[in-house]
Amino acid sequence: MPLVPPPFDPELAAALELIKDTVSPGLTLDEIDAFRESTGVDTMAQLDLTADGHFDVEDRTVPGAAGDPEISLLICRPKAPRTPGPLPVVYHVHGGGMIIGNNRVGMSGPLEWAKELDAVVVSVEYRLAPEHPHPAPIEDVYAGLLWTAGHAEEIGADADRVLIVGGSAGGGLCASLALLARDRGGPRLLGQVLLCPMLDDRNDTPSARQMAGLGVWDRTANETGWTALLGDRRGGPDVSPYAAAARAEDLSGLPPAFLDVGSAETFRDEVVAYASRIWQAGGVAELHVWPGGFHGFDGFAPQAAVSRASRAAQTEWVRRVLGQG
Amino acid sequence: MRELAGRLTAVDPDAGAAVQVISYFDRLTESRAGLESLVRGAAVLAGCPARLVDTGRGVRVRVGPDGVRVDDGPPADAGWPAAVLEPGGGPALWLERTASGPSVVDAVILERAAAAIRLVLDRTRGRAPLSPADDPALLETLLDATVPEPTRAHAARRLRAAPGTLVRALASADGRPRVLLGHPDAPPPETALPPGRLGVGPAVAVLDLPRSWADARTALRFTADGTAQDPGPRVVHAEELGGVALLAGLVAPGERPPPDVRALEAAATAAPWLMATLHAVVSTTSQRAAAAAVNVHHSTLQDRLTHAEQLLGWPLRTPEGRLRLHLALTMRHLARP
Repeated sequence: MPLVPPPFDPELAAALELIKDTVSPGLTLDEIDAFRESTGVDTMAQLDLTADGHFDVEDRTVPGAAGDPEISLLICRPKAPRTPGPLPVVYHVHGGGMIIGNNRVGMSGPLEWAKELDAVVVSVEYRLAPEHPHPAPIEDVYAGLLWTAGHAEEIGADADRVLIVGGSAGGGLCASLALLARDRGGPRLLGQVLLCPMLDDRNDTPSARQMAGLGVWDRTANETGWTALLGDRRGGPDVSPYAAAARAEDLSGLPPAFLDVGSAETFRDEVVAYASRIWQAGGVAELHVWPGGFHGFDGFAPQAAVSRASRAAQTEWVRRVLGQG
Repeated sequence: MRELAGRLTAVDPDAGAAVQVISYFDRLTESRAGLESLVRGAAVLAGCPARLVDTGRGVRVRVGPDGVRVDDGPPADAGWPAAVLEPGGGPALWLERTASGPSVVDAVILERAAAAIRLVLDRTRGRAPLSPADDPALLETLLDATVPEPTRAHAARRLRAAPGTLVRALASADGRPRVLLGHPDAPPPETALPPGRLGVGPAVAVLDLPRSWADARTALRFTADGTAQDPGPRVVHAEELGGVALLAGLVAPGERPPPDVRALEAAATAAPWLMATLHAVVSTTSQRAAAAAVNVHHSTLQDRLTHAEQLLGWPLRTPEGRLRLHLALTMRHLARP
């Protein structure tokens, strides 16, 4: 039976027309270097991190895990907080398929929430695959979280109100981070915001097969990202849940999760399955499947009606979790 | 792999831009996108607000360059690049910027967006009516209390009536509903009203029109042709009826009228002057004024009233008798089929 992909939302389909020359759905290992040098990352790094002077922006070098190199944290603090006392923290992990990106990428959403909800944003720069395979990325992300929780007072923040957020690979790393924090008895997290997260190295769901060759991150690109991170172990029997959260057997005892994904993307089925498994384990999750959305649609086409709806749902959830609802 | 290609904000103003604009609107058209998506496309690609105004079809959509719809905006500027929707028609789609010179990309955006919008309008709204008032189906929708409120709100938007606008329903003898804009504070002047018998409903917010319509139809039943055989007010305002409106519930149109009305009808066949004279008696403040109203001498009026009292069987020159007469004349209108 031929696989019929669900149609893209009309406005998103039109937006794809504009970016199809810059972004192609597939990506192979030998294209990674060229991809890193393309203009996309630079474009995203041009985001005004101060949000018109609302935030003080600082790059801070902090220790990595024992034996690992230091890592860099981008810290954005409200210049004039409206609320007295320590502020909540949005700890951000950028996306980029585990192979590209930096801690400026994907910051527009977290900065918007932080501006509206009076929070500090900390965005971690982690080492990228394939030069640095698992566990380098997740250990960097965990080390950044430990520093943030341990030095909360120093940055005007509240260690008991840390929310983690990431999109795509960053979403996958956040899911793993929540598991790691649980299992190592690390910082208690207020919530995890997993935006179209990259969760499953097996890369073999119906949606992965259905969307092959379409959108902006298809099954081939996904295989490239996971292989860069895991090498030959990708899809095999002994992949750690701290690399691919979908591999976790036990999803109980996790902080409340917000998950979203497009109906027309590779990750649809693994995200829906992950949310279902959180509920089955007695946990708390809110899941949005946006009709006709391709991977990362709200970042690529923020003006589309469905993008604005998805951004609003994210903001409202964060607001409720921070008790500002 | 998120947010790597940069955002869709503005198309490069170089050679490839026109091609991208064309494929953008082609994709929207292929997937049957709606008006707002098309106007948003124009706004986002141009990097300035875009507005679509089609008065004939009651369409007004304005979207900012960030994709957010904001229908209110400054008055249209003759210097803005614009496109027409109908051959020979006026400008209907604008890019809200005063261009320093003609821009090829702006022209392509306007041309492709207008073509796509035209298709949607033809598909969803058909040929434009001459004016919203000529679209009776929309009015029927607005006046019908059994229609769900969202549907009525949609009809109101198509008639370009903002939700807070105060309007009055007008019920006329030809059965055709009308809605009167303006005059919210006082009864509208005669000049603002169509000819013929007319019930005027109270001024209400657009979504309360079913109530104004019900009151207007009640008021219509109290009206008269204003002729010798059917004397009485041609226009009745629901707000001025007060408790008299309750009578409408007691007398069913077209059914056998109450005894006093039947007595009036019988008397009128014996005396052709009767209806006009008795109407003058109840609608003026003195018998002298009543005589003047029907162009007879005061003593003639006295003779007529004596005659009428014999025909009807009740006094007409006591307060109680006059009230009974007034009620009978009013109920006569209400009994009209």
